[in-house]
Order: sequence, then structure tokens, then C-alpha cells
Amino acid sequence: MRRLNKDVVGAVAVLVLLAMAPLVVRSDYFSGILTVSVIYAIWAASWDFMSGLTGRENFGHALFIGAGAYTAAFLNSKLDLSPWWGLPAGALVAVAFSLVVGFPTLRLRGPYFALAMLAAATIMQRLTRIFWQYTGGEEGIPGLDPLFESHLATYYFCLAALVLASVLLLFLARSSWGTILRAIRGDEAACQAAGINVTFYKIAALMISAAVAGAGGALYADYQEAVTPDVFAVSLSITLIIMVYVGGMGTIWGPVGGAILLAMLPELLRGLGEYRLWVYSVVLIFILFYSPGGLVAPLWRWLTRPSS
Amino acid sequence: MTALLDVAGVTKRFGGLVAVKDVSFALEAGEITGILGPNGAGKTTLFNLLTGFMATDRGIVRFEGRALADLPPHRIVNLGLARTFQLCRPFRGMSVLENASVGCLAPRVRHEGSVTARAQRILEQVGLADKAATLVDVLPYGDLRRLEIARALATRPKLLLLDEPFAGLGSNEIGPLSALIRKLHAEEGLTILIIEHKLREFMQLVRRVIAMDFGEVIAIGPPQEIVRHPRVVEAYIGRTEAPLGLA
Amino acid sequence: MLNILVYGAVTSAIYAMLAVGFTLIFGVARILNLSHGAFYGLGAYAAYVMTGLLHWPLPLAAVVAVGFVAAFGAAMERLLVRPLRSSPLAVLMITLAVALIFEQGMFLLFGSEARNVPAFVTETCACAGLDISGQRLLTLGAGMVVLALLYVFIQKTRLGSAILAISQDPEGAQYMGIPANRIYSVVMGLSAAIAALAGVLTAPFLTVQPTMDLLPMVKAFAIVIVGGLGSIPGSILAALLLGYSETVVSYGISPAWTEIVSLIAVLLTLILRPAGLLGKRAAF
Repeated sequence: MRRLNKDVVGAVAVLVLLAMAPLVVRSDYFSGILTVSVIYAIWAASWDFMSGLTGRENFGHALFIGAGAYTAAFLNSKLDLSPWWGLPAGALVAVAFSLVVGFPTLRLRGPYFALAMLAAATIMQRLTRIFWQYTGGEEGIPGLDPLFESHLATYYFCLAALVLASVLLLFLARSSWGTILRAIRGDEAACQAAGINVTFYKIAALMISAAVAGAGGALYADYQEAVTPDVFAVSLSITLIIMVYVGGMGTIWGPVGGAILLAMLPELLRGLGEYRLWVYSVVLIFILFYSPGGLVAPLWRWLTRPSS
Repeated sequence: MTALLDVAGVTKRFGGLVAVKDVSFALEAGEITGILGPNGAGKTTLFNLLTGFMATDRGIVRFEGRALADLPPHRIVNLGLARTFQLCRPFRGMSVLENASVGCLAPRVRHEGSVTARAQRILEQVGLADKAATLVDVLPYGDLRRLEIARALATRPKLLLLDEPFAGLGSNEIGPLSALIRKLHAEEGLTILIIEHKLREFMQLVRRVIAMDFGEVIAIGPPQEIVRHPRVVEAYIGRTEAPLGLA
Repeated sequence: MLNILVYGAVTSAIYAMLAVGFTLIFGVARILNLSHGAFYGLGAYAAYVMTGLLHWPLPLAAVVAVGFVAAFGAAMERLLVRPLRSSPLAVLMITLAVALIFEQGMFLLFGSEARNVPAFVTETCACAGLDISGQRLLTLGAGMVVLALLYVFIQKTRLGSAILAISQDPEGAQYMGIPANRIYSVVMGLSAAIAALAGVLTAPFLTVQPTMDLLPMVKAFAIVIVGGLGSIPGSILAALLLGYSETVVSYGISPAWTEIVSLIAVLLTLILRPAGLLGKRAAF
């Protein structure tokens, strides 16, 4: 139990830091970066829940993000619904996408799932450009109504969403769900021999991951008050994976830390903004060679190791 | 009385190779039976067919009277038919207790009470209780074997299929494992089917032996008879493996 | 009708060149090379640099570009992939990192606007009542030659037999004294070279921009899944199928719908016959 207490204290400390930050540095630009970082953290956590736990990498997570974002945009801009509808609707549409791609591919062994997700996200990106009459093409859909008038309120709402998502995913990951998902990672055949319906759990995990990512996508569209095809981009999917790597795969909270760190880093180090993906790639290579368990999770564990 | 397991005319080919040919036998509840045969006789393939990991080309398998055709492995397990693998397949990166817990999470036994408590009890049964928190990645092979059995036991099977449980064990580990199997048979009333390809211990464990060679059943009978059976002897002479040496 | 026949063939040839390299490295070394599209892009950009900035003659630029990318591929295998072979996930991630670095690198060096690479053959060929650019015909011809050469290489040379052996049984081949690691580098270089060649040839009539590695990857994936991972004949067959289907759709319905073709093909394959048309066989 002492381990758990340390983790809780750490989490609360980080939460307080995040909550206080925009009050200390009073700048719209800064709170904007914070908001985006927090949304990235939601996405990273959702990726980790499925792919981090089961080991079945998803290279097209942006598919769910984009699904959520565009759904929110459509509901608000074309159907004139309040932006609040976007959140559950975005999650639902993302879940539908996850079934379309996940159902045929997760049954199979081999890299089909990873490839199919990558292909699906890219194809969706192309489709938004092709059917520009409906989706606004390259410019996307601008002029969405925000959830809150104040940017600060939006930030706190996103932060609350992150807490909610993290708690939910952590709870599932620590429960027998998590045990089964990690066993799937260990050895799928042995899992079946233990009487577990492996395909069901994989698809269910993917659906949960998609729902959270889709809701995050809707949040993002809301914060930007617009949506563009970039929301399906491969670079987004890959960025998330790198964030999870930095955080520590399979821990859920590690990726949250990794995402916030990596999202804020280039902005804080002035001039690096454009070189962001390069920085990420180099960091990734470094981690792959020298620290495969990530940076955030191992660091925290080392800092809070029991004194011998 | 319906046999617990009824195998009739099961056949499987891989391209031109017939791995299992027209295999038929029946197991009564409470028996310990062995499947004997040299390498390549089709024994593991037969296990894969019985447990749903491979589909039969022909033939019927019935468990408690119910045909198992086309059922996926996890459904078969939840009917009460569990197996271990020839090469131990633990869930790496997880502890011994967690490994056993996975079996306790099968729908068949899911709601029978605290998962941790049941898993702990199973570990006590197989003698791994003191290593509950150890990561399986550092376990010695003999313990991995026991864990394989624990995980299968956790699903509360009626029939347990053990695939070469003694393979890779040192001579001092074979005795205890054999005793464990005997204990499980006696305490749990488990019906057990064991594959081995040569072992003195095995022959003393089982009541009845099904001998296979080249995918076919060549003889069925008590161990003492099988050892002297002309076709069984012939299957072992002319091979580079040592004969049974049990006369 | 003739339009479709010829354009379909050109498209198929390009796709085949992309897919074959990808499936080759997977079939032999079990590497899912997510930077394969980057090889294609590097070939195109290298050709651009040499012709547009260094003003080298085109044939020289082409050869050097392909050679450069081949060396790059082999070096990447040796330095980045080999140390991580124990974890397939790490290998996947490193190829991803390379792809990212390529995209960003090209963006930083050359900006995001499309660049121009001159065509080898500037005349259009008005044959059989058809106006088709010479460059496209060259691509088709080159594609066929490359595939034929590859076949001969694999079947008739010692190195080719070594590659065959490794793809069927890496351990067994090593016991026979075949240096698996060196073969992996060679195959990577070969795979990169074919992709780069496709890049050089198609650069004149397709766009050269930092994100150009993406679409070829998606197409290569689709083809390789439909044809069967690890099967070269399967990739060629699927390339033909997809190339022609897309051309037919493009003429018959609208060019905008060509994406859907690969999408549907992939989904159908995964649902009906996941191993692909010729999958589950040896790579050759």
C-alpha cells in the first residue's frame, strides 16, 4: 500500500502543478500550450490502454481522434447542435470506426492490425480532402462554437477530462481487465488455453481506447474552434506512440507524463517548435537504444524506491 | 455410461503429410491415460485438434457427449477440457500469482469467489505458493511446468491434457512432478491424458496407454502389454532414440 | 479502352516496384519497414538535388540516387535495425523514426512546396491513337525489367539462393554458413534501391514533397496485404489487380474514388482470406 500512496501523492502533486500553472504564468499562449498538452495526454493514455497493455501496436490512433473531431464539427456546424453533444457523439463514432477496423484484423495474428490502422487513418485523411464539399477539404471546418467562452475554463475542463480518463483507464488497467490484457501480451495462445476469449478482450480494449481518443478529439476540435484533415495525420499517431514510449508503455500514467513533457518541451525551448518531430525522433531513437522502459515511469520509480 | 471424451476417426493433413490418421479412442471419467509414440507420431497435433487449436479434416470429437467441431479453444476450455503446452508458455512480465489468476478469470470459474484467494490456493496445490510474487521470467524450468499445470487447473477442468510434462526436467524433478499429477488425480478426481515419448515414470503413472506411430493408433492397452506389443517395439527399433527399456 | 490498358499497366508497375521491396524485406528478415516510403521519397529528392541543384546529367543522377539510397538502406539496417533485432516492436519503431526524420528533414531542407525533377523522356508517344508520356512508358518498361532481373537474381545466383534459404529457415541457413546478418543488409539495400528507382522514375510526373512517402506506403501495405505478406508473386499479382482496378475506377467513376479501391480491397482480404492471395507460402 505504501507504493500506492506514493503514486497518489505524486499524481496529486502533478495535478496541482498543472492546475496552478496558468494562474502563475498569465498568458493566453501558455494556457493554450497547456490545453493542447493535456489533450495529448488524454490521447496517449487511451493508446496505452489498448496497445501498451496488449502489445498490439496501433499505428493509426489518429483515426479515432479525427473521427471524434469531425463528428463534433459536423454536429456543431452543419446541424447547429450545441458543442456539448460533440463529446459523446465523437466517442461513439470513434468506437464505430474501431469496430470496422478492429473486428477483421484483431482476430488475426501478425502485423495486420497495425498496418490496417495506419492505412485507415491515412485513407480517412485523403477522403476528407477528396470529399471537400462536405468536409471543407484542406481548410476543414472553421468557426465552431467553443464549450466555454473563457480559454481558462476550457483548460480546466480538459484537465478534469484528463483526470477522469486517467482514473477510469487506470482503474481498468489495475483490475482483472488489465491482468487479462497483459496476459494477451504475454502469450495469446496460452491465454486461450486459460479459457479467455482473447479476441473479445482485444476488441473491447480497442473500443474503450477509441472512445476516450474520440472524446479527446472532440475536445480538441472544440479548443481549436475548427477542425482540419491534420487531425488524421500519421505524424499525430506517431507522436502519440513516441510520447507513450517516453512515458513508459503499459503504465497509463507514464504516457500522461510523457505526453505533457513532450508537448510542452519544444514550445518552451524557443525556436524548437518547427523541429518538433525531429526532436521526438531523436528522443525515440535514444530511448530504443538506451532506455526501452521509457523515461518518466522508470525515473519516478527510481525516485520513489524504498530506501534500503 | 457415456465416455468423457470420445474421439472417432480424427484425421488431419498438412499438404501432402497426414499428421493424424483416423485416430479413435475413448476416455472414461477418472482415468489416467497416456499417449505414447516417437517424435513425429502426431501426438501434439492430436492435442491441438482435441483442444480447438487446429481444425480436424475428418472425424468427430465429443466431450461429455457434446461435439466440439469448430469451437474455438477458449470455449472448449470453458466446457471443462484444459491443456498444457509442450514448451512452457508463461505470461512473461507477470508474477506467478498473476499467471495463475488468468486461469481463474475464465468465464467457467469467474464468479466463484476472490480471484486472488483461489489463485493462491492453486499455487499451494502445485507447490508454488512461496514463489507467488516472483516474476515468471526468472523461474526455473521445473517451476514453469508446475505453473503451466496451475494455470490449467485454475479453470477447474474435468479433463486435463498434459503435453510432455516431463520433458526438459532433471531426474530429481521428475519424481515430485509425477507425485503431483498422482495427487491431482486423486484429490480432484481429474481425468488425465498425458503425452510422453519415453519415460519409466510415465509408464508407472498411467493405467492405459494409447500407442501412436506415424499419426495412427497402433495399440491400446495397459502399460505392461504395450511395452511388449510387436508394433510398438517395431516403432522404436530402427530409430535413433533409445528404446523404452522397461522389460 | 487502350487508355485503361496502358495506364493500368503503368500504375501496376509502380505499385509492384513499391510493394516488392517491402514484401522482400519482410519475407526475408521479418522487418516491417515503415520507412520504405522514405526510400521512395529519398530517391526522388536525391534526383531533384542532383539535377536541379548540382545540374548533373539525368542518367548519372538517377544511378547515383538509386545507389545512394541503397547504401542508406543497408547502413540503416546495419546501424539502427540490427542492434534492436531482439524486439520486433523496437525495430518497427526505429523504422518509424527514420520515416519521421526523412519527412521532417525534407521539409526543413526544401520546404513543403512540390519540387521538379526533369523527365528522362520528354516526348510523348503517340502510338495506336494514344497520347502517353514517354516517361510513363519508361517507368512501365523499367518496372518490368527490374522485376525480371530480380527473378533471375534470386533464382540463378548464389546470393539469390542464400536469400531464399534465409527466408525459409534463418537458423538452418546460418548453420550452413550463410551470414544472415550480411544478407539482411543486402536485402534491405536491394529493397531500398527498387523503391528509390520507383521514386526517380515517377518524380517527373508525380509530386515531390516531404509527405510523398505516405501514399506509397499505404499502397504498398494494401498490395502486400492483398497479395500476401512475404510473397513476391503475390505482390506482383496484387499490384496488377489494384493498379488496374484503380485505373478502371478512375476512368469509369472518378479519380477521387481510387483510394476507396485499396481500402475495400484490404478490408475484403482481411475478412475473407486474411493470408492474402498467395500468402502462407515461401517468399518466392
